[in-house]
Parts: sequence; C-alpha cells; structure tokens
Amino acid sequence: MNILIHDLSNMQFQSLFPEVCNNVHIIQDNGTIKHCTGCFGCWIKTPGKCVLKDGYDNMGELLSNSAKVTIISRCLYGCYSPFVKNVLDRSIPWLLPFFKIKNNETHHKRRYRNNIQLTVHFYGEKITTEERETAEKLVKANCNNFYMKNYEISFSNSLEELSGKVIAI
Amino acid sequence: MKICIINGSPKTGKSISELLIGYLMQFIKGNEVVTYNICKTGFSKIQFSQIQNSDVLIFAFPLYIDSINSCLLRFLAWLEKRGFENNNIVVYCIINNGFYEGYQNHVAVSIMKNWCKAAGLVYGQTLGIGAGEMLPFFEDVPLGHGPNKNIGTAIQELSRNILSLDQGKDLFISPNLPRFLWKTASSFCFWYPQAKKNGLKRKRLKEKANYISKK
Repeated sequence: MNILIHDLSNMQFQSLFPEVCNNVHIIQDNGTIKHCTGCFGCWIKTPGKCVLKDGYDNMGELLSNSAKVTIISRCLYGCYSPFVKNVLDRSIPWLLPFFKIKNNETHHKRRYRNNIQLTVHFYGEKITTEERETAEKLVKANCNNFYMKNYEISFSNSLEELSGKVIAI
Repeated sequence: MKICIINGSPKTGKSISELLIGYLMQFIKGNEVVTYNICKTGFSKIQFSQIQNSDVLIFAFPLYIDSINSCLLRFLAWLEKRGFENNNIVVYCIINNGFYEGYQNHVAVSIMKNWCKAAGLVYGQTLGIGAGEMLPFFEDVPLGHGPNKNIGTAIQELSRNILSLDQGKDLFISPNLPRFLWKTASSFCFWYPQAKKNGLKRKRLKEKANYISKK
C-alpha cells in the first residue's frame, strides 16, 4: 500500500489528479483531525495507536503497511501546512518511546521494520530561498527519524506546476 | 518593558514549556509580563492587541517531528495574516525536545526565523534544550547547579538579551548528565513506570498494532 497525505481541497485534488491508483490510501482534511497533545498514550496506554478517536488514530499502523509515502503540502515558513503537520505529529506510534544512538545523535527506536520511500511536493507562490532550505533540512531530519533511506523533494510555484511533477499516485 | 509569552505546548496538563517559562520569569521580574497558552484557550482581540503592543514576544514550545506542532503552526499563520503594526517587536524562542541534544531543535529555529521574516519582526535569540522530559525530575535543583547548570547559565544569558532587546547567538544545550545515564533513566524512570501505571507490562510497549486488520 502507498499513502498520499495532502492538504488540497476536494475540488483541487480531483481536478489535478482525476485518476488515482487503487492501492493508494489518501489522507486528507475532513475537518475532524485533532492535534497531538503530547500525552504519549500511543506509547504507554495503547501501544501503536493514538488515543484520540478522530479517524486519524491509526497513522502508525498505516505507515507500517506502506512502501511509499507521498506528501503534497503548502510550504509554510519552510514547514508543512498545519494539516499535513498535524498528520505527521500523529504518526509517532510508528516509533517506540525508547532511544538509540545513531550518528552520535539520539533518536527513537522503530516499532516496525518496513522501509518507506518518501516523496514531498511543496507548493506555494512565494517560497523564499530560506524557506526552501529549511524545508529541505526538515524533510532530511524527518527521514532520519523515520528510518527512511530514500526521499525526493520538489517545490512548485503553483498547483498547475505541481500536477506536472506528481507522477504515479 | 512589555513582554508577551506564548506557551505553545499542546499538553493538557503541566508542560515542560510551562516549567521553562517559570524559570525565565525569575530573571524578568519587574516587567509587564503576560502569558498565553494558545493551544488551550481561544484568542481574543484584546489578547491580540496585547501582542501588538509588546516589546518582546517569547515563544516556548516543544519540538514535534523535528519542527513546530500543528497547533502553534496554525496560530503563527493566523498571527502573520492579521499583521503587525509594530515591527520592532523582538522574538525569542525557548524550544525543548525529548532527545538528548539541544541542537536537534535547529530546524524549528529556522522555521521561527522564517516566520519572523514573513511577519516583519526581528528575531532575537533561541534557547534550544535537549532532554526536556527530564527537567521536571530536577525541578527542585536550583538553576545553575548540578543537572541544571547549563540551563541556568543559558536562561540567564537569554534573559539578559531579552531585557536589553539584543540579538544573540542561538544557544543549544543538553543537561549536565551523561548521555548513557539519561538514555537508561528514560526507560527505567519514565517509560516503564508510566506503562505500569496503565497496567501494561514492559514487553507490551513494543507490540505492533493490528487494530486495522482486526476491524
């Protein structure tokens, strides 16, 4: 299974990507997502599952069944958009609370062994050089923490430009 | 001096950001200080006006997935959209993360600097702290001593710059405790006791979820 996380409206998405492969699980904003409260319930109460019941509580398990994750997000100050960031904040059940030392830095151990390939497509009209550099650092850091060996990143000034870059979803 | 502190922790109970704000308060006494937790309460026109009229804006928040939590991010976007009439406000950040190394906050710092640029504000300085979850265990240890030595020194330096509206080099610190000890203690003094409170045995913490396949 592949996962697509995006922050586009239904209309934008359907117009840009009228056909999506059957094996793609789409995660989009249906207006119900709650923000991670840092309670660590997904580690110490219901291991591997978020305790907030809003339909976005199985991110860890979904990621564990995925070979490829594609993110389409507005670039906001060099970060993802709030919705996409919200989904990622809710993805820590893929990890364990315990630590390991990797490249002389501490990181969480992984709960699952699957390797995920990450592709991030940022879009925005006025992405500055600094924001672009920050976004590149962010994706690299995310990959390091989620044990993703391969990643691709692109930046588009418009949704039209973005649609040309997103292939095979 | 008017100082507005934004607690950007989404935690429902007492947070590390709250603890760090308390530490900073000791060094900025005698000023007009207001604190808001933007994830717990809504934000009114009056509160926005207080931000607008501040000399200093301080954000204290935890690191979430190498950056800023979605709740604070939404707030930052909202603030930028409303716009600032006073572009002389100086912004400082106190960021804590659950890893050992304070410098793992560096991407969040870049995001905050980009936000400042977009909002037309001046960026002052960052205090990036590692091993944040351990800080409450040393709450009774005076700042500047023992495991709180680095944090005490750094908060003093940050507060000096805040009070003089100066910019400073970003400070990234770890606790005065060997990393292997912190790593061991995190399991035995934090995660395992927390799991036990919830009636979970240690090995269950490593279980792979199969909630979807059960449906």
